[in-house]
This record gives sequence, structure tokens and C-alpha cells, in this order.
Amino acid sequence: MKVSFKIQGSLVLRMREDLRRPHPHAAERVGFISCRFGTIQQGVLVLAHEYHPVADEHYEFDPNVGARFSSAAIRSVLQIAISKEVGIFHVHLHDRAGVPKPSLVDWREWAKFVPNFWHVRPALPHGALLLSRNQINGWCWYPGRQEPAAMSRFTVVDSRLVFREATA
Amino acid sequence: MSWQARQSFLGPESESVLRDVRIAIIGLGGGGSHLSQQLAHIGVTNFDLCDPDLYEDKNHNRTVGGTHADIDAKTAKVEIAARLIYGINPKAEVNAIKDRWQNVLPVVRSCDVLFGCVDGYTERDQLEQLSRRFFIPYIDIGMDVHKPEPGYVLHGQVILSLPGSLCMRCFNFLRPEFLEKEAQNYGQAGGRPQVIWPNGALASTAVGLFMQLILPWHQEIPGGSIMYDYDGNRHTMIMSPRVAALAGVPCSHFGALHDTGDPLWIP
Repeated sequence: MKVSFKIQGSLVLRMREDLRRPHPHAAERVGFISCRFGTIQQGVLVLAHEYHPVADEHYEFDPNVGARFSSAAIRSVLQIAISKEVGIFHVHLHDRAGVPKPSLVDWREWAKFVPNFWHVRPALPHGALLLSRNQINGWCWYPGRQEPAAMSRFTVVDSRLVFREATA
Repeated sequence: MSWQARQSFLGPESESVLRDVRIAIIGLGGGGSHLSQQLAHIGVTNFDLCDPDLYEDKNHNRTVGGTHADIDAKTAKVEIAARLIYGINPKAEVNAIKDRWQNVLPVVRSCDVLFGCVDGYTERDQLEQLSRRFFIPYIDIGMDVHKPEPGYVLHGQVILSLPGSLCMRCFNFLRPEFLEKEAQNYGQAGGRPQVIWPNGALASTAVGLFMQLILPWHQEIPGGSIMYDYDGNRHTMIMSPRVAALAGVPCSHFGALHDTGDPLWIP
């Protein structure tokens, strides 16, 4: 199954701006985007709709990871999924150029909390996105499948249309 | 030397961008046939073409690539366009769909840029709604002939409707009264008058907007949606004054959550 991702340029800008803001004690910021979906040829289209930054007070102090958010942050985003019928994708920034790749810590943490979104929206995909200064990468936990699928195409819709086909 | 060498000003990645972009053209008559020809020459490789119609003698005054033999054979318009594209670029991948686009929605949703070359306001409205739902830039072209006394007035439009920016309703091109009355008002010169030269001008401008979108070579036109007015009597194409008048104004018609994606998506 092919998973394609589309987002409007203004939303990418907003996410990058927010994720670059320093935090009093966390080394990096994280956020979530709510997404809707469409059926396309041979797959699913993930459409980013709104960005939800994690509030300052929802970061916990943990020097072992870039950012650790509290259960309140998760509850907040679960509430969005409940009330708006959206899939939830975790997002953070690797502040360098090129296609971002997840660390082992990223994978470990995603595996802990992304499937939890199915508790409130079991019929929708959820996932994780990685931004860099100029690229996006992402993975999708699809209903009924335990292993995440790598997104295969990324499109930023703006006055310049930018798209990237992921290489295997 | 590549056959695209003379367009190297579009950038070192232009060939790969043109090879990878997927475009859909709805309506392969006077406007769509011009588009497919030009896009193939530029190097676009992936085409989804949708039109249920067969070629008839009434199409022959304006359809690029149509032949007398196609009239006799009742060749599908999409097959004529596909033949035209393959003749220009044998490596092209053309999905020629002899059907209404509403019957192949997953195909249309899969494109990167959608061209609408349809006759009515209602269908334009539907295409723009689809493009907004699935974040697809939509480029609309169309012409019309009216008959105020004396003579005829030939005019048209090219609109780039960019998700997140102004829409065809914002530009006042789609109006409720037009949607209601189009059946009786569309064309007064005898059944949807169409001629080849305005279609060529409109299609060329549309291709220019498309290229500006995927391989911008200058920054002289404003970002976001844009509309050009074609005056076929004076032979001019000017940016609609509505573009400047609405600068900085957000679209009030699209962008809500319920306008995004499949309304009833299921895995």
C-alpha cells in the first residue's frame, strides 16, 4: 500500500517556526498535526490539516531525550482526535538539511505512543513525521497493521509545488 | 544533447521534476488537446486524461491532433490525445480514461496538478471542490462567445486555484446565479461556440502557470491563486484586476476541516 502525504506550505512554515522556538528546559520541541484522508490509486493520501504544538508546561524534564512530554499533552491531542475525527501524527524537527531519518530513540518512543491513538480513533491511520530544514519524512500506522508503513511521496502545496518520491 | 536542452533555464532538476510530476486533464477537446500537446513537448511524462466523448465532425475545427479518419472511426478524444503525446514522447505514461472523471475519483485525486477544460460552471465548481479537498492545484481554462449588438464578443479566462489561497468564487468567476442559469446562458452563438485560436492562447497561458508552479524561473507574479482575463476581440491576456484587489484576503469558501479529504473515508 502506498501512503502519500500532502501539506500546505503555510502549515510547514508554522510548524518549523514553532519547533525551532527554544524551551526553558527541553532540548527540542515537538507537536502534533491532525490529518484527514483520501483514497488514491493503490493507496491512501494523508492530508495535514492543523498543527497542535505541545504547550510549554506539558514538557517534562529528561536529560536523556530531546523532549519528553507529559500525559497531559497526550490527553490534549487525544481529545482533538475524539472531537474532530482526525488522525494524529507526531512531528518534530531535525534541524539540518536533507531527508531526515529517525533515531533509535524516535522509533522506540513512537512505538510506545502512536498506537495509543487507536484507542480513540481505531479506524484512522496515525503516525509520525520528521521535518528537516528542507525535507519531510514520515511513517504511517495503518489500521489493522502493526508495523508502520513508510510514506512514499511528499507534496508541499504552495506557490511553488514541491514533491518528493521517497527512495526505498 | 537532450531534447529538453533548450529549456535548461528551468533549472538542473527540471527534467526529473517534469518526469515525476503527475498531471490530470479533464476534457480533451479544444483546450485539453492543446494542453496535452504542449505538456508532452515540455517533458511531462505522467498523464491521466479523462473524457467520455468520441471525436465528431463538430470537434474538428479546434482539436489538436484530430484527423478526418478519427471522425469516421469515432475515435475517443482521450485516444487522440494519447496518440499525440506518444508521438512526441514515446516514453510517456498515459492513462487514457474514456469515462467521466466522477467515475474515477481515486485516479484524479492522485495527480499533482489538475487541469479543467470543461464547458459548464457546475463542473468547474465540482472540480475545484475536489482539488481543494485533496490539496491539488487546479488550473481552469475556458472561453465563451456572446452576442451583444453589433458583432460578437469573444472572451475567456485562465485561473490557477491554489489550495489555501483564493478560489474561483473569491474571484467572482463562479457565482450562484451562473450555476443556476448556465444551461440557458452559456453561449449565444449557436451551441457552445469554440474556436482554436483562443483555446491555444488560453492553453499556453495555463501551461505557463503550471511551469511557474513547479519550476519557477522568476518571481514577478504574485504567489497564490491567480486569474487572467482573455479578450479575444482585442487579442489580450491580462491579469484580472481582482487579483490585486483581493491581495492579502483569505479565501472564505474553503479550508474547513470538513472540506478536507474524503467525507466518509474508510480504510
